[in-house]
Amino acid sequence: MAEGGLDLRVRQRGPIPLEAELACAPGEILALVGPSGSGKSSLLRCIAGLLTPREGRIVCGGETWLDTARGTDVPTPRRRIGLVFQSYALFPHLTALENVIEGLGHRSAGERRERALGLLRLVHLAGLEDRRPRQLSGGQQQRVAVARALARDPHALLLDEPFSAVDRSTRERLYGELAELRRDLRMPTILVTHDLDEATMLADRLCILSHGATLQTGTPLEVLQRPVSVAVARLVGLKNIFEGQVVAHDRSAGTTRLRWQGRDLAIALQEGFPPGSPVAWAIPAAGVLLLGPDAGARGPRDTAVACTIAALTTLGDQVRVALRVPGSGPASLFTAVPRHLAARYGLAEGRPLTLRLRGESIRLLPPDAGGQGPNVA
Amino acid sequence: MDWSAFALSLRLAVWTLAILLPVGIWAGRRLAWRRFPGQSLVEALLALPLVLPPTVLGYYLLTAFGGAAPLGRVYEALVGRPLMFTFEGLLLASLVVNLPFAIQPMQRAFEAIPIEVREAARCCGLSSWRILRRIELPLAWPGILSALVLTFAHTLGEFGVVLMVGGNIPGETRTVAIAIYDRVQAFDTHAAGIMAAVLLVVALAAIAASYGAAGNSGRRRG
Amino acid sequence: MAWRIVPWLCGLLAVSWSVAAAAPRGEAPVIAAAADLKFAMEEIAAGFTNETKHEVKLAFGSSGNFASQIEQGAPFQMFLSADENFVFRVADLGKTVDRGQLYAVGRIVLMIPKGSPLRPDPTLQDLAAALGDGRLRRFAIANPEHAPYGRRAEEALRAADLWERIKGRLVLGENVAQAAQFATAGGAQGGIIAYSLARSPVVAALGTFAPISDAWHSPLRQRMVLLNGAGPTARMFYHYMQQPPARAILVRYGFVLPGDLPSDR
Repeated sequence: MAEGGLDLRVRQRGPIPLEAELACAPGEILALVGPSGSGKSSLLRCIAGLLTPREGRIVCGGETWLDTARGTDVPTPRRRIGLVFQSYALFPHLTALENVIEGLGHRSAGERRERALGLLRLVHLAGLEDRRPRQLSGGQQQRVAVARALARDPHALLLDEPFSAVDRSTRERLYGELAELRRDLRMPTILVTHDLDEATMLADRLCILSHGATLQTGTPLEVLQRPVSVAVARLVGLKNIFEGQVVAHDRSAGTTRLRWQGRDLAIALQEGFPPGSPVAWAIPAAGVLLLGPDAGARGPRDTAVACTIAALTTLGDQVRVALRVPGSGPASLFTAVPRHLAARYGLAEGRPLTLRLRGESIRLLPPDAGGQGPNVA
Repeated sequence: MDWSAFALSLRLAVWTLAILLPVGIWAGRRLAWRRFPGQSLVEALLALPLVLPPTVLGYYLLTAFGGAAPLGRVYEALVGRPLMFTFEGLLLASLVVNLPFAIQPMQRAFEAIPIEVREAARCCGLSSWRILRRIELPLAWPGILSALVLTFAHTLGEFGVVLMVGGNIPGETRTVAIAIYDRVQAFDTHAAGIMAAVLLVVALAAIAASYGAAGNSGRRRG
Repeated sequence: MAWRIVPWLCGLLAVSWSVAAAAPRGEAPVIAAAADLKFAMEEIAAGFTNETKHEVKLAFGSSGNFASQIEQGAPFQMFLSADENFVFRVADLGKTVDRGQLYAVGRIVLMIPKGSPLRPDPTLQDLAAALGDGRLRRFAIANPEHAPYGRRAEEALRAADLWERIKGRLVLGENVAQAAQFATAGGAQGGIIAYSLARSPVVAALGTFAPISDAWHSPLRQRMVLLNGAGPTARMFYHYMQQPPARAILVRYGFVLPGDLPSDR
């Protein structure tokens, strides 16, 4: 763990099951991503000290905030954290300035007002200091909440779904401001969100959570393209997940052969899976290409598959295509094409066509122990 | 016009308020925020005086603290005066009878404070005492104020328990409500009428003031 | 903000406390007196204060109630009962200085308020007739359970053979003063109350009354007693009750004094 960063390990069976481990370096933004009920807010509350897990250890900035083995549990007011709640939780009877000043108790009385004004200016709220929360818009309230969190000179900044209650255009603006702000942020920042796109945009690293367990942590690229399990694959939105069997590895060609539905697919070399072992595999929508009349050259690891269009769904300027591959039951492959291409290729339900699976994008996963079966779309 | 009865009623009301204000705040907070086993039973017990006839309460107080009861005798040995038929006895009865009027509105007021606001206060590094003073009390104030007004008005009007527990001893337990009853029995309807009218005006003024104050602070709040 | 109320509350507390504390609490003894003595005792107490410069506090109620309260330890210093049996009861429980002294014998009267269709017939025959022809709907007496005047009213009604027919129409006053109030304030068409109350100008103005023969009920032997812990003022008052000025007032209110009856001490 980097000096001054945050290191967390918690475990408990109930009432909220948790089995999490994460680390966040100073100046880094780590996004906790997962569906509702996955325990993201609970982890945040553990860091803040609002929730004490059965077992755990939390260290931040060199201070041990929690160590159940040794009986250490620093109470919330003594942890220097800044927490921005989903509902902002501003003090309704105080002005914006007074709200921020409440977080400045650790500073001397003389400099509190100045510092609060400075923080409000930092979040672009200069001139609105004397407004009460109900006189501010959602986005403005959120900025006051951020200023108040920063007022604490926190050793860790925690943001609990800060953008979920805000409309689209305000959200876009706030993303930009957060990006600006982080240049000055020298503490580890943890952002909780259920929106994977938002996390990908804002965070340096993602941590995928499900049922209180941290499944995978890594850069957005790593997590999206190289999920470590079927569960993570599903959580990051991969729809094309299947079962198969490793045939052989060819190191000289950099290829692994994968058997699926009686076909042999050539994919990028992934030696972690011994030949003959059953595996699960995933391919993103971008790796499923519809061959058109002007199809480009075939890559060395592309496989052609004949299929039929099972369903077409138009969403905005994209058309989602569900394809049925003979021998693998009902619609099982998903991809998306821009609408104009769908029109140009004359895509229609029931139409047979050949598609190309890009072996480069195929990722092997340990077989799904979860029992949900592959490709539950 | 019996001024000593007025002073007595006022003294009873003010002492009741003085004791029930901190008690109500403590109990209201506790019931609002920390669920403990048997809480429903406690809340039901606290609400009893609302539905019990005052004479039932008077009866149990007499039985428990009267001169013949062990508790009453212990008290008299310690303090030198009996508990019944004295101002202290009235105060005890008044405290018991007013518990729901004091605690329930305060409890509702504290319940209305979102838990995240209090958590945010802890995250800001505020001590429990400062959270109470700076965040919780100002936000709960309208509820606390209405609890105080209700208790005040109810104490001024309490009759049944006072009569049973206090008797009708002038200067000691003859509150205004009892004095009015007493004057009517003495065919002094003039005095009774004056006292009743003054009591009415005082009660109206108290309620108007509390609604005004609650309205003001409601507007100033978020 | 709202904390401005705190100094007001403190001020109110201080003012009320000092006002209440200024009342001479510990000094003036509380005298429990039967309700029929309401007007007579106020006059006697005024005379007492005039002469001795000492004050007494009077509490009026039914003798039975007071006896119960004294048993419970009520802080009275002297008890004037309308029925000597209540005095004997508390004396037997050791609450008194001695067995007290007879101070008066009381009488009951039939009270008819102004505008009532009843007639002040001391033989109660008109009352019987009114029960039959519907003129009487409600009749007020004190509660016979604990008010001596109520019990004597019941005895008189039984003696006139009216009790069974009238008892369904009774309104019971908690003490004889409340019965008088019920009998005169228009709720009842009449009642049986204490003679002493009917003799006061206030009540006399509200209707007419007819004395009921004392052969129809057991005598109202009214006894007074000093209670344990009675202070010097109470003792002075006890003594004053036996002096001519007090006795004259009692006579004026229709009481028969002890010593005027052959069977008394």
